This record gives sequence, C-alpha cells and structure tokens, in this order.
Amino acid sequence: MLRIIIDVLIVVGAFFALAGTIGVMKMPDTFSRMQASTCITTMGVIGVCLGALLYAIFIMGSPSTAVKVGVIAALVLTTNPVGAHAIAKGAYQAGIRPEKRMETDDYRRDFDE
Amino acid sequence: MQKTRFPAVVSTFIVSYAFWILLTWSFSAQELAAGAVVSFLVALFSARFFIHERSFWLFNPLRLLIALFYWLGVFMVELFKANWDMAKRCFGGCKKVNPGIVKVPVDLKSDYAQAALANSITLTPGTITMDIAEEDGQTYYYIHWIDVQKPSGKEAGDAIKGTLEKWLRRVWE
Repeated sequence: MLRIIIDVLIVVGAFFALAGTIGVMKMPDTFSRMQASTCITTMGVIGVCLGALLYAIFIMGSPSTAVKVGVIAALVLTTNPVGAHAIAKGAYQAGIRPEKRMETDDYRRDFDE
Repeated sequence: MQKTRFPAVVSTFIVSYAFWILLTWSFSAQELAAGAVVSFLVALFSARFFIHERSFWLFNPLRLLIALFYWLGVFMVELFKANWDMAKRCFGGCKKVNPGIVKVPVDLKSDYAQAALANSITLTPGTITMDIAEEDGQTYYYIHWIDVQKPSGKEAGDAIKGTLEKWLRRVWE
C-alpha cells in the first residue's frame, strides 16, 4: 500500500516534468518557454521529493536521508525563482521580444524610449 | 550597505547552525564544534546581507506557524492549480497562449514580504515577476503573464496574487 503511494507521487512528479519539457520545446517565444519550465521545478521536484521522503522514512528507515531530501526540495524551491526572475529581466533588457505582439506590454511603455 | 550588528550576527548564526545540523545529521561532539566555528565565520561575513530590519523576526513562534501554514497549505493549493492549468496548456499543443506584461500595484512595505511575494509569483507557473518599481510611494511589480485576462491595475493584481498577499502581510507586518 505504501509502495503504491510512493510510486504514484513519483509518477505525478514525472508527469509534470514531461508537461514542462513539452512546453519548453513547443511554446512560441522565450518568455512563454520560461513559464513552462517552472512546471518542472515546482510540481516535478515536489512530487519526486515527497516520494523519496516517504521512501527514506518508511522503507529505508534512515532519518538522515529523509532530512537531506527535505533540504534539497526547500533549497530548489527558494533559489529557483531568483534565477528565473534574473533571466527574464536580462532577456528583456538584451532586446529579446516575442515575434507575435504581446497583449499588453507595460514594461516597454515605462522603460523603453 | 549596512554595518554588521551583533544581534544580526546571532540570528544568522542560529540559522546557519540549524542548516549545518540538518545537512550532517550526526550529533558527535566533533561535528557540532566544527559546525559552530564554520557557522560563526559565515554569520560574521553574511549577517549584513541576511538581516535588514529587526534581527529576531524569524524566531517569533506565531509568525513561524503562520509562515509554515502559508508555504505548506495556502501556497501549495495555488501551486497545484496553476501547474494543472499549465500542464493542460502544454499537452494541448501550446496554442492557447496570450502572453503580455502587466503592471500590478502591491501594498506590502517590508523588504522580506516583497521578496517573498515576488518569489511566490515567479514560482507559480504562468507568471514571472520581472521587475519591482516604486512610484509616488506605491510599489509596482511588472509581471509577465502567459494568459492575460485583464488590463493592468488592481483587477489583474487580484487575479494573479489571490490570497497570497493577505497571508504574507500576516507573517511580516
């Protein structure tokens, strides 16, 4: 029973990672691709780490592994948005624009010429 | 750049020592002593980046409980809904996108709360915070939104932030 729960959690994580990967391949412009990649680092990491956490506690019986898995999840979730934010802003300021016009673009209105 | 203050060093030391214990997870005297020395050095050099305002806001148990409830409860629900929406978009051939950058007013004052809200928004699939600007005492976020439903302003802010802002205000203000 426990094994089934663990497997389901890992499969859910892999499912969202697959969705994010398809998004990275097929989205039309740079910023939308970045949006899709967030799927991988949130639900993908949470699902797999939750599964690994349960596995470490109940099947391996090793608290040190469980704590490390928790720390990995927490660190990925706190450091990822800083990088995503920096990449998005840097890409925009380096002059990368989507081919199709954006619906609204207040950033250009306030900061560009 | 701030000067290093002693209370800030103490609270940074406690946080880094807790991280050391979590990472090693062994309680022999040698490990603990080495961890104390390393954490003190780290705290000495990084306290001025880590602590900006009150030094011991982190150790108020009520705030910690609310923060824990926010990250594990409120935020996880929002995260799952946004992820599901994004997964449907990706498997549907990536045709239903309507991207744009909106400007949203934010009422939080504390640095920590603003950073936490910006990170929460970035972590949710579908929205990325690109910049923070201040005009006439009002803070604005520039947010890239994959499916723009409303023009810039308060309504777009309610659609993006949901209840997150209310909870972060309870934690930090």
